[in-house]
Parts: sequence; C-alpha cells; structure tokens
Amino acid sequence: MSITSYNGSALIAMVGKNCFAIASDRRLGVQFQTIATDFQRIFEIHETLYVGLSGLATDVQTMYQRLKFRHKLYNLREERNMRPETFASLVSAMLYEKRFGPYFCEPIIAGLNEDGTPFICTTDLIGAKQLSKDFVVSGTASESLYGACESMYKPDLEPEELFETISQALLSSVDRDCISGWGGIVHVVSADQVITRTLKGRMD
Amino acid sequence: TTIMAVQFDGGVVLGADSRTSTGSYVANRVSDKIVPIHDFIWTCRSGSAADTQAVADYVKYYVDAHSMELGRLPRVRTVANLMRKICYNNKDNLMAGLIVGGWDPYEGGQVYEIPLGGTIMRQKFALGGSGSSYIYGLVDSYYREGMTREECEIFVKKSISHAMARDGSSGGVIRITTIQSTGVQRQCILGSDVCMAMRWNHDYFYHGLNQRLKDG
Repeated sequence: MSITSYNGSALIAMVGKNCFAIASDRRLGVQFQTIATDFQRIFEIHETLYVGLSGLATDVQTMYQRLKFRHKLYNLREERNMRPETFASLVSAMLYEKRFGPYFCEPIIAGLNEDGTPFICTTDLIGAKQLSKDFVVSGTASESLYGACESMYKPDLEPEELFETISQALLSSVDRDCISGWGGIVHVVSADQVITRTLKGRMD
Repeated sequence: TTIMAVQFDGGVVLGADSRTSTGSYVANRVSDKIVPIHDFIWTCRSGSAADTQAVADYVKYYVDAHSMELGRLPRVRTVANLMRKICYNNKDNLMAGLIVGGWDPYEGGQVYEIPLGGTIMRQKFALGGSGSSYIYGLVDSYYREGMTREECEIFVKKSISHAMARDGSSGGVIRITTIQSTGVQRQCILGSDVCMAMRWNHDYFYHGLNQRLKDG
C-alpha cells in the first residue's frame, strides 16, 4: 500500500460569499484497521486562517507543529498575523526544502484576506501551489471528492448553505472509500465568527 | 469482508456485510455475499469475488443435478464436500474462504467452514473474511450453547456490526439469512440500525456472561 494511503484521510475546502468552509473526516487507521475516530486534521493558525493536512498522520502532526512555530515567530517579529497568500508560500517553501525526502502530506490552506474575501489553495507533497476559486480537495478519497464537489458546488453560497454543500460532498465521497470516514468535522469561517460542527456519518 | 454463520436447534443463521472493495475504493457498497446453493443450503463468500462466484456456480450446478438424481433434499455435508473438493484441488489458483450453512432433514442445522487451503471443518459457529479477526474475542465471550433463533440473529448482527466498525474492508449493510425447515428468511439491517446492533440486548448478553463467570 502507498505511504500516503497508510492512515487514510479526506479534506475539502470551499469558497462561499465572504466566507469559507473547511472539512475533514475523523478516521485514523493503520491500513484497513481503524484505530481512532477523533483524529484532528484541521488546525487553526489564527482566527481567519486554517490549514488542513491529509496523508501520513505523523507528518500531519509534525507539519502542523512546524507551521505553528513559524507563524508564532512571524507574529512576534511583524506584530501581526500572516496573510493567507503569505502562509501558502511558507507552506510551499517548507515542503520544497524536503524535496528529496518529503513530508507525505498534502496541505489545504484556507483563509480570509484583510478585505474579507476568502482564499483557498492546496499544494502537493513537495510544495507545488495550486490556487482555486471554488474548492480544493485532498486525501485518499480525492477522486470521489473532486466529482462530488464539481457537481454540488455553486458560487456565492451563504455560510449555512455552504455548510450543507460541503458536508454532503464530504460524506458521500468518504462512503466510497474504505480508509476514510467515521464522521466529519466542518469549520465555516466568516469575518466575524467561526462555526464548527461535527457530522455524524456512516461508522464503517 | 466479514461473514459468519451460527447453528441453532432446527436451522442456521448466516450473516455478512455488503462491501466489495478494489484496493481502497468501494466498488459495491450493497453487494450480496450470501448465495443460495439449494433451497435450504446457502453459502457465505469471502476472498476473491470472481473465484467465489465461479465456485458457487459450479457447486450449484452439481448439487442441482445430484438432488434431482437422488429425488430428495441434498445433505449440507454433501454441498460442503463438493465445495471443498473444488477449493482443495485448485488451491494454487483460488483465493476463496467459504462458509456453508444450511438445514437438511437428516442432521438438522449445520455450519461448515472452508478456509483458504481447502480444509473442511464442521463447527457450531464460523467466522470468515478480513473483519473476522476483530471479533474473535467478542464472539468467544458472547457465544452460548443452545441459543434460540432470535438469540442467534442478535448475536450475528452484533458481531458483524462490530467488525464493520473496525475493519476498513467491511461495511455497508448487514445481510442476514435464516434457514429452518419451515423456510428461508432474508433480512437487511441498514444505516443507523447497524450502530444499534452493537447495543442490542446488551443486558441479555451481559447476563449470560455473568452467568458463565459465576459458573466458573
């Protein structure tokens, strides 16, 4: 089995009207055996910047720790939070540093710019950035996720509708993947609030 | 895959999940892994879908001819033996783990397990498939001699739902087939009822476990 599908994961980020949503599954497995059902893949960097990491679980945790460290240092020096594009460049650079011995994770970066417009992007495991206007997906169920998002997505959705859309896309895709699933967690982030909800899905 | 069969006085209960996977993709989430070989003899399939479908089709054909010649219902033992012959003689080319469960008028309810190499074992209950590894402990602690039909059904549902929770290759719905002299009944446990199966009649089983612990 490939190293990126050792633990299993599924992630989506979607753009709405002055808001974004980022969602992930909750399963942690060792190949086909389920070990944990509350694994965290989405991390807050600051109030309006979230990073989701798919792939090998140990690299998910290490990448998050390193990114958190770099952002805290930036905050101390610059006395402000990082902008989403800057953060995306940081992620890309950190991954490319390990070009010939990479971290086996594929991050999704989602944030709100200072003017309130949402920003999402994804990179591959060696840092190739891919910006997107509508949605980005990552994980073992990525092919299913692409199909589900492509058909369900509409531009300029309000936070509540965006939550429904991203949840349905996530749940229907992980149901076709043996190694991701066991529920989901969704963060819907607008300029003034963050709503986090857990999804109850198929527990198989 | 998780498959299971339990014998009770007067028949057998066969159970299976419904997930067919190609690698990590779920090719079919509502597949039927319990197939009829004859009126009162059914088989649970695990391993390669193609191999088990082919073996089951061959055995069905042979048993059909055999029971017509005999003019009577075939023995479950005969069906299991035919299956075993095919699995053993082609062991190098097949990947098939089968459980034969059925009722005949001569020996009542019977369960025969035929794992990978072509061994045949008659057992009171049998487990198979990748998900079975996760429920050996559960099954050993909850199984009792002399369970009724309803108790066997609950036992099978509970065990398979636990296996589906832990094994990535098992999931979907729980299919149950109950075979008795009066006939064959098929059930399908869907969705949230699968989770409930993990908790069904917990007190009932807990009492049984306590009883056994007291008896020593």
